[in-house]
Amino acid sequence: MMKVSCSQEDLNRGLAVVGRAVATRAVLPITNNVLIAAEGSQLKLAATNLEVAITCWIGATIEEEGTITIPARLVTDFVNSLPSGRIDMTVAPRGQSVELTCARYEAHISGLDAADFPPIPKIDEGVTIKVKSEELRTAINQVAFAAASEESRPVLTGVQADFDGDTLTLAAADGFRLAVRKLTLDNVVEEKVTVIIPARSLAELNRLITDQEEPVELTINPKKSQVIFRLRNVEMVSQLIQGTFPNYDQLIPQSYTTKAVVNLADFLRATRSASIFARDGSGIVRLQVMPKDGKGKIAISARAEEVGDNVGEVDATVEGEETKIAFNGKYLVDVLGVLGEDEVAFEATTSSSPGVLRPVGKDNYVHVVMPMFVQW
Amino acid sequence: MPIKVLSPEVAAKIAAGEVVERPAAAVKELLDNSLDAGATQIAIEVQGGGVRLIRVVDNGAGIPPEEADLAFERFATSKVATTDDLESISSLGFRGEALPSIAAVSDVTMVTRSRDELAGTFLNIKDGAVLQKTKRGCPPGTTVTVRNLFRSFPARLKFLKSTATENGHISQIVTQYSLASPEVRFILIIDGRTTFRSPGSGSLREVLAVIYGVENAKLMLQVEAGDESEDPLLPQVTGFVSPPSLTRATRSYMSFFVNRRWVQSRMLTYALEEAYHGLLMTGRHPIAVINIAMPPQEIDVNVHPAKSEVKFRHDREVFGALQKAVRATLLAQAPTPTLDTLHQPQPASASFTERLIMPEPTAQEAAVESSPPTQPAAEPAARSLPILRVIGQIANMYIIAEGPDGMYLIDQHAAHERVLFERIRDQRQRRAVEIQGMLQPVPVELTVRQQELLELQAEALAEYGFEIEHFGERTYLVRSVPAMLQGQNVAQSLTELLDFLGEGAKTDWGEEIAISLACHSAVLAGQALSQQEMLDLIRQLEGTSQPNTCPHGRPTTIHLSAAQLEKGFGRR
Repeated sequence: MMKVSCSQEDLNRGLAVVGRAVATRAVLPITNNVLIAAEGSQLKLAATNLEVAITCWIGATIEEEGTITIPARLVTDFVNSLPSGRIDMTVAPRGQSVELTCARYEAHISGLDAADFPPIPKIDEGVTIKVKSEELRTAINQVAFAAASEESRPVLTGVQADFDGDTLTLAAADGFRLAVRKLTLDNVVEEKVTVIIPARSLAELNRLITDQEEPVELTINPKKSQVIFRLRNVEMVSQLIQGTFPNYDQLIPQSYTTKAVVNLADFLRATRSASIFARDGSGIVRLQVMPKDGKGKIAISARAEEVGDNVGEVDATVEGEETKIAFNGKYLVDVLGVLGEDEVAFEATTSSSPGVLRPVGKDNYVHVVMPMFVQW
Repeated sequence: MPIKVLSPEVAAKIAAGEVVERPAAAVKELLDNSLDAGATQIAIEVQGGGVRLIRVVDNGAGIPPEEADLAFERFATSKVATTDDLESISSLGFRGEALPSIAAVSDVTMVTRSRDELAGTFLNIKDGAVLQKTKRGCPPGTTVTVRNLFRSFPARLKFLKSTATENGHISQIVTQYSLASPEVRFILIIDGRTTFRSPGSGSLREVLAVIYGVENAKLMLQVEAGDESEDPLLPQVTGFVSPPSLTRATRSYMSFFVNRRWVQSRMLTYALEEAYHGLLMTGRHPIAVINIAMPPQEIDVNVHPAKSEVKFRHDREVFGALQKAVRATLLAQAPTPTLDTLHQPQPASASFTERLIMPEPTAQEAAVESSPPTQPAAEPAARSLPILRVIGQIANMYIIAEGPDGMYLIDQHAAHERVLFERIRDQRQRRAVEIQGMLQPVPVELTVRQQELLELQAEALAEYGFEIEHFGERTYLVRSVPAMLQGQNVAQSLTELLDFLGEGAKTDWGEEIAISLACHSAVLAGQALSQQEMLDLIRQLEGTSQPNTCPHGRPTTIHLSAAQLEKGFGRR
């Protein structure tokens, strides 16, 4: 039994939010469904793919409380096609289908009993942290892409989150590069906590917090096996990756022999245009840092056998020696695209040791990339 | 030439050739004897690929002095007395051929002492005849030393492979035997270096850890004999198999033992792979160690002198028992990644079901190959590719394109392999291989065989950009890789490369490495490609020197001419 009404806009938005967690492959058939529950004064929507679960609440008028699960794709696409206005949903007593009406549209959708739906984990105990949503969003953007997509070492597909005092340090590495970002929390954690969150879950979280102004609250369960993110009207639970993240401090070079400060937009443009010529080969983009009277430039070039070559130059403030170093162009574009400051500092030692990129004016981010060894 | 009865020496050498075809076979025969003598510790020492020296030292029962020289007589054995005994052989050896066969083609000395004797017996045998027999003090057990194998048999010597290859075969034999007898401690010393040591604790998992690495051993699933198979006549299957997530590119990681005798059997291999049906991708094979225990009278091991083949009286029962036991193990134990507060019915576990519903390329492959229109019409395409217009992709495997004369089907994996192969080969020739450094070195654990190949081919691998450093025991650190391997599982690519090098005889190692690298980096069959990606691939294929075959020699392109199409549709 259930009788509830809500607006098409709210239901449409709510289904889109939880839709990200609907299982795409039928592991457990019911996980292809979305849970709809009328409780108190709100309509709860929930979906899970057993790795991530998303719950969303929307405003509704509830005449009879009740729950059911119905196929997520079907109801999402159908609701999306409806005109805006009021939607009424009814489940007959002991019924296994929803009658959904909106204006002159009416549908019956067969469902499955909500009792068979995997319970969405509740995390009430454990370390709770508040962090500004915009800050968290930027930090995730700057780190998550560096996580490994290939799953031979599961810990590397995650982002290590280290909560210490009022600081959160996010770090990701895939064997070729490392991104580390520090951010300040709104509260102080009593005890240092370190967990590894799947990069995929963080990417999902970032989509959810796009238009959120208030801080995000997150709680890690005492077993450190799950984390819950609480947003306005939305909650996301993700499982955590078990294992030991590599000790990355030792991977960050402590010194350099060449440092070049360049305009970020110029550097990014030159790297992108070199990448076009690099794509036929292994994506090799060559940097030549040339100091001159306290100023200088970086020449960014690429060449492909029997295709051609190109070079672009950007002005730089170069400190130290002239140097040549080559990188996978994609790795450079990835990091330059998320730095978000006007200027970037590029540091190098030899052509075979890691290069370092840092935003100028902020000391909360460092990115380390391993070069490629090429003939010059 | 008139017909004559062969002289005993010639006859002995011919017969010996059947038993002892290479040094590893001699090692095998000696290990059989040691195990039949109840040894709990066996040390194997070889030099010069086993040709210069093979020494097997055991702490088994030993041979009493009065029987010692008999051991070198042909068809002399303590293991079988009557033909009825042949019906139910439970010892590893029984033909009475091993020692005389080895002695016929080498110089053998043996020191042996049974526990009841005070002094041991020393025998020196040359060309099959006892030169010397004396008493000598020694610990209980038997030591057989074989020197100058095949020296008097140059025809065989000529056909032996390199020392490294022969060492590889010997390592293979010893590791397989250690899997069959986890309670026996095996030590293998090759040219003065201890390359393998099994714990001898009786735990098969510990032996697996030594051979395949601790991490892999942890993942292996135990196959246990079912309760219902109380019937002593039914085959009992025990051992370890890998979960579907742990696979290898070759079949050489499957070991089968029947009553602890290492056997090679297509039927058993097939039964095992059937148990994984639907769980593995094409071209991936499980790791397995399977022992089948069954009444000796149900099998015939006397098929071939080397005894590596067996015949089962009831083939189908064995097949069924193996497949059922392994399948049950996989279904019951496959680990399931789930949110840990969620309870869900066991069989519908995440990783598992995902694999079950994966498209099965074998079937598609078979369907495409056997579809009548392409098969008779298929002919090698022209020497170089014409200008092609991409129409689409079928089965996420083949690109369909239209050319000036009809239709072209391009195997995306084979085509990409060709492109990458030529690219890396040219880079190497120009000494300009593109290399990607690792920010953090990747640790790789190797098997004995892989380790030997790695050391043998260190220079060639370095030319391709592998910077690999020894990190104790059989662990290595990979510090850089060919840029082509970016985004691949580095450890897996390297071990599979080594496995590939270990298969069969290779003439040009450098080229073989390029082939394997290309194969690993190439786009896989089953991957959807965008229109642009297909265009790029065809353009790159056009630029290669041999666009019509992949480096393994398989065709990249099948051409169906306009004339053939017309004929097929009955237009002329």
